[in-house]
Amino acid sequence: MTYELLVPIFIVSTALISIGLYGVMSKKNILKIILSLDLMDTGVNILIVAMGYLPGGTAPIENGNYKVYVDPVPQALVLTAIVIGVSVTALALAIAINYYRKTGTIELEKEGVMKW
Amino acid sequence: MVMFDVPPVLLIAFPLFFAFLAPLIYYLSKKSIKFYTLGVLILNAILSYFLFFRVMDEGVVYEQLSGFYPPVGILLAVGYLGSILAMLINTLATINYVSFFDEKSHSLRFSMLYMLVTASSTGIVVTGDLFNMFVFFEITAVGSYGLLASKGTKRSYEGAIKYIVLGSIGSSFILLGIATIYGYLKTLNFYDIAARISTMPIEAKLMAFTFLVIGIGVEAEIFPLNGWVPDAYQGASSRVASFMVLGPSKAGIYAIARLIFTLIPFSDGYELALILGALTLLIGELAALNQKDVKRMLAYSSIGQMGLILIALSLHSQIALIAAVFLIVNHALAKSLLFLGSRNYASGILKNPVIGASIFIGALSIIGMPPFPGFWGKWYLIVDMAHNGLWFMISVILFAAIVEAVYYARFLFRGTGNEKVTLLPGEKIAIISLAVLLVIIALFPFLLYNPASNAATSFLGGGP
Repeated sequence: MTYELLVPIFIVSTALISIGLYGVMSKKNILKIILSLDLMDTGVNILIVAMGYLPGGTAPIENGNYKVYVDPVPQALVLTAIVIGVSVTALALAIAINYYRKTGTIELEKEGVMKW
Repeated sequence: MVMFDVPPVLLIAFPLFFAFLAPLIYYLSKKSIKFYTLGVLILNAILSYFLFFRVMDEGVVYEQLSGFYPPVGILLAVGYLGSILAMLINTLATINYVSFFDEKSHSLRFSMLYMLVTASSTGIVVTGDLFNMFVFFEITAVGSYGLLASKGTKRSYEGAIKYIVLGSIGSSFILLGIATIYGYLKTLNFYDIAARISTMPIEAKLMAFTFLVIGIGVEAEIFPLNGWVPDAYQGASSRVASFMVLGPSKAGIYAIARLIFTLIPFSDGYELALILGALTLLIGELAALNQKDVKRMLAYSSIGQMGLILIALSLHSQIALIAAVFLIVNHALAKSLLFLGSRNYASGILKNPVIGASIFIGALSIIGMPPFPGFWGKWYLIVDMAHNGLWFMISVILFAAIVEAVYYARFLFRGTGNEKVTLLPGEKIAIISLAVLLVIIALFPFLLYNPASNAATSFLGGGP
């Protein structure tokens, strides 16, 4: 199949997910943590879109000119995932603002989020 | 019994619809919003009873949505365990909502989030589609973030942020798992995946399994992923913590059960679940022993109970699964009772006999004292382990039970909480109703045993 074509995409998405995970675990600044979460989301979404990719494929709308169609399901999944990601980011930012108003700082306490 | 065939989708659609209608009601009359919400929750609870009896009559109930036939369209599949949990979640959410009744500032947002989380927790236990489950997970999580932050103190925001971070990582991992499965099998339907999972290479199977366990484990409070639990529960108001225990975490453990039994069943998965469960149990109980704050103690104890449930699931035998159902029901009832009571349990039974006795019943049931459902759960579990010769695991469970007994005894006899705070009438009603439910199951365990036995048979046969 076309898995050789997808190798760069796998590398990019793995890199994004790793950077995001590293950022979440090492940073204490809430904004940086939220940005890292967004990076992770993007990495996963790229991976899912790549799942349905076919070389030369087009959107699955029948008009006689094209014979190869990409798989529409991953695109639908990613659309949903993007919407969810945006709303979670918005909510996280809102809570971060409230946290700032209460405490006067945007940093979490010294252990960060990974304190057990 | 007179009944009509409830389509499972109503259980999700009703509260979603009414939740988004709530602003209009609020606009018309600010005072009526709490009666409106209570009415919606009661309606949903009644629907869940009808669904439960329908499932007991007919077996697994299927419903296809949006006119596409499976495996393309979304399929709802309600099995025995799903219907038990749907009934449990909706009933307890209704009872728990009563405890909010006397709040002066009864906000619209809170009621909407409450209905949304109830709807989506129910959605997780009735769905038959992997991506649909993911979406319900996200709705549950987003609603829970809002509810946990709703107290508006520094601690509650901190807890909510922790949950958002871990929840988002979890959802990314669920998506990765879905992508792995979809990449190989080109399907999202549970039955289709279960039928063809053996055609996947073993590495891909392991990868998908790990990703999904990590993702769902955040919600189900499994060991390395439950760092949010103590902070979030301690920061939130006791009633919200009680709601989190009875709704989202139960849906999460159902998803884990679905994953290890029907979706990707293989023997190493059971062993992994056993090890994770034992670690969760021991770490949760030992951490609970050291806590001064009662809500934090209950949160760690809740982690320990989830570990116990995971151990019961991982044994994959008839009796162990019945034990798991008993433990799930016991944890939902007793722990939400204790959370509700944690605000003021000053000095034992004598001061306020009815509430004191109710809290006493809850603690006894969690520890696993004889007539209560917690005892039946642990008893069946130990019987099954003795049958299989797992003596080491029996000693782990008994050790955890002793630790549990120690800190609950401290909780009961020394009393906790702030003496100046008095429980609101709504909270008292909720506490007493939960205690009455515990006593009913203690007196008539077969009420739960028969459905649980059906659920176990169905799960072992690869059903939902």
